[in-house]
Amino acid sequence: MLSRGPTYNNAPVEIDEIMHIPDGYLSPSTCGTLYLFAAWGWYAALKRIKQLLATRAIPLISVFAAFSFVVMMFNVPLPGGTTGHAVGVGVAAIVLGPWGSILAISIALAIQALFFGDGGITTLGANCFNMAIVGSFTAYVVYRTIATNSNLKSRQRVVAAAVAGYVAINASALVTAVELGIQPMLFHDASGTPLYAPYPLHVAIPAMMIGHLTLAGLAEAVISAGMVSYLQRADLGLLRGVSGLGQTPGTIIAGASPERSQGRLWWAVALLMLFTPLGILAAGTAWGEWSSADLMNPHTREQIAAASGNHAPPSSVPVGIERLSTLWTAPFPGYAPGFIKSPVFGYLLSAMFGVGFLVLASLLGRAVGRKWPGGNLRS
Amino acid sequence: MSRHSFLESTLQGFTRAVAKALQSEHAASQPGLLQQLDPRVRVIGTFALVVSVILCRRLEAIAAILLVAIAIAVASRVSLAALAKRVWLVILGFTGVIALPALFITPGEPLFTSPALHLSISAQGVRTAVLLVLRVETAATLTTVLVLSTAWTHILKALRSLHLPAEIVTMLAMTHRYVFLLIETANQMFESRKSRTVGVLSGAERRRMTARTAGVLLSKSIELSQEVYLAMLSRGFRGEVRLLTDFRLKPRDYVGLTAFLFTGCLAVWMGR
Amino acid sequence: MASTFEVQDISFSYEAIPAIRGLTLHIGEGDRVALLGANGSGKSTLLRILDALYFPSAGTVTFKGEALTEKHLQEEEFSLNFRRRVALVFQNPDVQLFNPTVFDEIAYGPLQLQWGKEDVIRRVDETLEFMSISHLRDRPPYRLSGGEKKRVALASVLVLDPEVLLLDEPTATLDPKSQSQVVDLIQQWKGTARTVITATHQLEIVEDIADRVFVLEAGTVIAEGTPAEILSNTDLLLRANLIHAHRHSHGGVVHSHPHLHGHSRHEHEH
Repeated sequence: MLSRGPTYNNAPVEIDEIMHIPDGYLSPSTCGTLYLFAAWGWYAALKRIKQLLATRAIPLISVFAAFSFVVMMFNVPLPGGTTGHAVGVGVAAIVLGPWGSILAISIALAIQALFFGDGGITTLGANCFNMAIVGSFTAYVVYRTIATNSNLKSRQRVVAAAVAGYVAINASALVTAVELGIQPMLFHDASGTPLYAPYPLHVAIPAMMIGHLTLAGLAEAVISAGMVSYLQRADLGLLRGVSGLGQTPGTIIAGASPERSQGRLWWAVALLMLFTPLGILAAGTAWGEWSSADLMNPHTREQIAAASGNHAPPSSVPVGIERLSTLWTAPFPGYAPGFIKSPVFGYLLSAMFGVGFLVLASLLGRAVGRKWPGGNLRS
Repeated sequence: MSRHSFLESTLQGFTRAVAKALQSEHAASQPGLLQQLDPRVRVIGTFALVVSVILCRRLEAIAAILLVAIAIAVASRVSLAALAKRVWLVILGFTGVIALPALFITPGEPLFTSPALHLSISAQGVRTAVLLVLRVETAATLTTVLVLSTAWTHILKALRSLHLPAEIVTMLAMTHRYVFLLIETANQMFESRKSRTVGVLSGAERRRMTARTAGVLLSKSIELSQEVYLAMLSRGFRGEVRLLTDFRLKPRDYVGLTAFLFTGCLAVWMGR
Repeated sequence: MASTFEVQDISFSYEAIPAIRGLTLHIGEGDRVALLGANGSGKSTLLRILDALYFPSAGTVTFKGEALTEKHLQEEEFSLNFRRRVALVFQNPDVQLFNPTVFDEIAYGPLQLQWGKEDVIRRVDETLEFMSISHLRDRPPYRLSGGEKKRVALASVLVLDPEVLLLDEPTATLDPKSQSQVVDLIQQWKGTARTVITATHQLEIVEDIADRVFVLEAGTVIAEGTPAEILSNTDLLLRANLIHAHRHSHGGVVHSHPHLHGHSRHEHEH
């Protein structure tokens, strides 16, 4: 059946798998912050790629970006008879390494927004951060971890590629969901109307993750695995990654300097840690993130009323919240493990956990890159 | 269901992309309002208005900007039918549908309750849904009008003179140029596979076909990049990118820029 | 006669596959030379070596007495000088048209050589006129026909008025009209100081575009001579896979003889 529905990115829209955030879903401060994160990523990536590839960088990254743009348009047939769309971040991370992948995917996204008018211009930073930066690093780390130092032609590599693609897309989706999910809590008017994306975390996260865990993640896995399998037969050199691609006359490959990039990473982590206590803005319970129990408890009802411009919350739990609240139970219900009473402490703990996860991921990436030389980066 | 429906959708996507590019080229050469302005003014002005759209807190202000956007579109000979088809209907189908549940689950004073379904629509829900859809529509209208009325090379040059690094601009330019070549290559590959395939393929076979096409496309892409690199070297490329920017601001550009910024600020102030 | 290229016993391989083995030739100033060979004979590779894009693993290449080595080409002054004086037109024009518009493409060379803005614009417009493509000035490359692409590619190297032109299969894939336009252009340079080296497998244009022919096979030169000498040597042409022996039958008799497509009727004994 030929779908004649609305199109996005030149492909029929499958609502649950869109990660490109349009203008209007994110507040100006969110957009600005994410642009800053993205700019850091672009700047770092450009420097590293120039070190690694010198004059080769421009044509290689450009054509790869064109390639990933075209791949984003492929309808990937999935088990079950549906189709999905891949981003190409898995292949990009494997062939170009994380830095090259950041640039290539970002450029593809920029072309979508600036030339085709698909995707927002205030949210370009956010989209690049979610897909190009988080996606590339995740794909790279997972791939290197699972592929280890196995033979380039082994099945292990194919499996590694599939998992890397799948996890990367879902990581991107998660970050996107978080960005969308915190909008109502942080940005609402006096009457309680969310000003941007209207769904809180416990709605946004399941809504986004379901689509990506099933469709988009699989599509990425299929493309990543399929392409690695193809390259194993047809073009083994590309699987060796960036160090193999730099072999052209006249290329000057300077030595990489891991120390400086590590220093910057720590700065980024520190900044992130500073930002997380933003979650402690709301006194008591976060606005909008009420469980059914909160709405029935007279004490919290008073608090809610006070926080909502003195409008009383509905006397019975809105059916929507009732239904949806059972869908997702955060690992830290109420963001606080049982024994910790103070919500502030609970937020801090969750923040630590989130940041710790990020730090772990980057340390892993460094260790993995070092332990198995001959990989994509000499770092 | 066509046996090659997944190929058909992909092929249609290619056709749409090329059609969009041609649409852009056509509109950019029209003698309209935006086309008279320096591309830098157009880019900054559009960006400023989009920022205003997301700074506004009131529906009325955003609606006002939408009207301004439509006026600019008309003055720049951008067909409203094209806008409707490319932007307004698409967004209604996408963001509109996304915003629908917000009517019901946003807490607030109930406007309308259906006892039979135990569903109630809150005033806040209505406001938030309308706000979202209006914001997205307005921003998309602005960016689409910009993109349709401005040649790609001018957008690039505008970005360059706004101090985007030369390497990034060159990469954007080169990527764009080769997107069309790769679309054509992928198109040919899919068409030939379509005609060579007899009978219905299993899911696994279709996946393999797609992945293999992507793989071939990748090999060709890398090879292409190597050849392009040699061609660049042959013409004197040594790592630094030198571009020609020849924009000069005319009085009407200052007027235009002021108009954009004023409108944006006014909307934000009134919509605070 | 002043020497332009001195190639002494060079070898070159792609990864492990040898492309050039023990190749020697000399080209003088103002020469019009054809490198004749089938696909895979090494003629494209040779052109790239002459353009200092690849460097041989053995042997030497000099241009007007200057050695073409990787190290030498990394020197900015020499490199800019060389790139202006020697130009290569690639077989696949898409590879050479990497700029957003035709104007940008032709302006690329002068810009890399750091010419002033007015000079660049003036020179580009002149070249557009010369190649009769002024109407394509703002066109993006993906909206050009094959013949137009070739003309833009030629324009993009002629803008710098190079002393040496290296042409890789300039007429392949072109329609007859475009082909003859290219051939006319090359003929214009007969007797000038411009050296033209054309790699081709199309025998029918050789007489028009060259005064001297080198025949390549399996990465080395197997013969050298004037177009008349080479084109009449059918054994040589067969060996180099430039013509084929064609079997046909008539009057109940089957026989084969070497011949060249593009020639009209021919008489033969049987």
